Amino acid sequence: MLSNPGLRKGSWTEEEDILLRECIEKYGEGKWHRVPVRAGLKRCRKSCRLRWLNYLKPDIKRGQFTADEVDLITRLHKLLGNRWSLIAGRLPGRTANDIKNYCNTRMRKNKVSPRKEKETTDDKIVTQKTKVFRPRPLNFCKNSPCFLRRMADSTSVGAVSHPQTGEEMPSNNNNNNNNEVFLSLDLPPPTDEALPWWKSILAGCENEIVGDNGISCSISGGSSEQDVELLLKSLWAEEWTQKCWS
Amino acid sequence: MDNSTQESHLRSENFFTHDSPYPIYAMAFSSSSDRIHRIAVGSFLEEYNNKVDIISFDEETLTFKTDPNLSFDHPYPPTKLMFHPNGAKSLRKSSNLLASSGDYLRLWEVRENSIEPRALLNNSKTSEFCAPLTSFDWNDAEPRRIGTSSIDTTCTIWDVERGVVDTQLIAHDKEVYDIAWGEVGVFASVSADGSVRIFDLRDKEHSTIVYESPQPDTPLLRLSWNKQDLRYMATILMDSNKVVILDIRSPGLPVAELERHRACINAIAWAPQSCRHICSAGDDAQALIWELPTVAGPNGIDPILAYTAGSEINQLQWSALQPDWIAIAFANKMQLLKV
Repeated sequence: MLSNPGLRKGSWTEEEDILLRECIEKYGEGKWHRVPVRAGLKRCRKSCRLRWLNYLKPDIKRGQFTADEVDLITRLHKLLGNRWSLIAGRLPGRTANDIKNYCNTRMRKNKVSPRKEKETTDDKIVTQKTKVFRPRPLNFCKNSPCFLRRMADSTSVGAVSHPQTGEEMPSNNNNNNNNEVFLSLDLPPPTDEALPWWKSILAGCENEIVGDNGISCSISGGSSEQDVELLLKSLWAEEWTQKCWS
Repeated sequence: MDNSTQESHLRSENFFTHDSPYPIYAMAFSSSSDRIHRIAVGSFLEEYNNKVDIISFDEETLTFKTDPNLSFDHPYPPTKLMFHPNGAKSLRKSSNLLASSGDYLRLWEVRENSIEPRALLNNSKTSEFCAPLTSFDWNDAEPRRIGTSSIDTTCTIWDVERGVVDTQLIAHDKEVYDIAWGEVGVFASVSADGSVRIFDLRDKEHSTIVYESPQPDTPLLRLSWNKQDLRYMATILMDSNKVVILDIRSPGLPVAELERHRACINAIAWAPQSCRHICSAGDDAQALIWELPTVAGPNGIDPILAYTAGSEINQLQWSALQPDWIAIAFANKMQLLKV
């Protein structure tokens, strides 16, 4: 595949290593898209970064893994599985890449020889392979106007103007419809139904508690836009809780 | 229950002490209505051999009774104990099940005069190493489900009747310290990475971060979900004297921070019958009951009731069947406090 005929692939030569090292020493890490140009290398920016992080970085420990490290790796691998970066977090000076390579080569060697004995015993033990999920965390964006609007709504504010349109919003707006709207606007990609539990929990709560805003801060005040601006600014101040509850 | 707004101390006839031969930590109130005053108490000895005792409190004589038949050995200190949530309501034999977490999740059948081990739930394929469990929670709405949290950053959901794993999720980036069910398929967990995350079993690809500790990487130690009002959760940070109350409708911002303890807090429990009351206990040897107001005063919220124990309080449990009893554990003693 000749996508870019000038690009070098394959093993890094000594000269390339020297060029890269000098470039990083001169310009620091980061801005990897500039590194190949600055270093005069015909390598992809990703390749430069990986080479630096996995091999050329000065604090990487060379040499074989010590007995302590091997012990740690075995235990962590049994505990954490193939999550190399987590294991590398516990082994200073070793890269996740090194650990992965070590495991895949050494552990395999150990497995091949006693395998014949193990197979007969393993048949009796029923090992269930449970699929392990890794949910990706969704973080609500603090600066989205939808979030601020929902903040204003869930507190019993006298009247709050929408930050963008300036129209006034009614207070004590706790009906289900509004919440539904918020949910579809608030959620970051991929889908609107990413949080079905919100609807069920909030719907349940809204039905039970009518007119009760729960624990909230009530801000008595005018509905002028200046007040709103102050409110929005003070939302992110650390003394927010005290300011509201006065 | 007292609703005085000033701090009031409990009178001497309102607390009862049980002395144990060893330091205790885990406690659980029995959930079956014919055995209301049964409490399971787990020891906390830093060695392999630990014990769990089931003691009963006689309301007439106001004394505790221990039965040597209702004691069993437990490997390593149990990090949490919990009775089956349905208790005698369920017609099945499994009404008096006690679960304990430690190196594994274990189930015990509590009978009249004996306790039999019922199951050991082990998920690891190789039996050499297992990740210790920091906590677990029994789902009230679906008692077949128990969720466990572990130091290997995962949360495992078990189907207790079949004795198999329902799901296993890599919940956090660091050790998970506590887990709490909200609904049938929704639970939340806290971790050493400082975040409170909510998971829905219907959508295992996503989780929601509801709160993160202000200093990054300050571990959150305990989580309690208000069963009366699912909008509110409470959590405590490591080495902090504040109880952080969260509203899931406004993620990221705590609704309240209850700061009246003089040392770090060790345990929190929402009131089982009221959606506004929460109790907290800590290293200042105090157990404080708070009532969360609709509008708070400028100086923060004050507790409505306070109790000072003999030494640092390590554990707190609020009885679900008898909401005027709270159990606290400190040093070798377990005290029942009447609210």
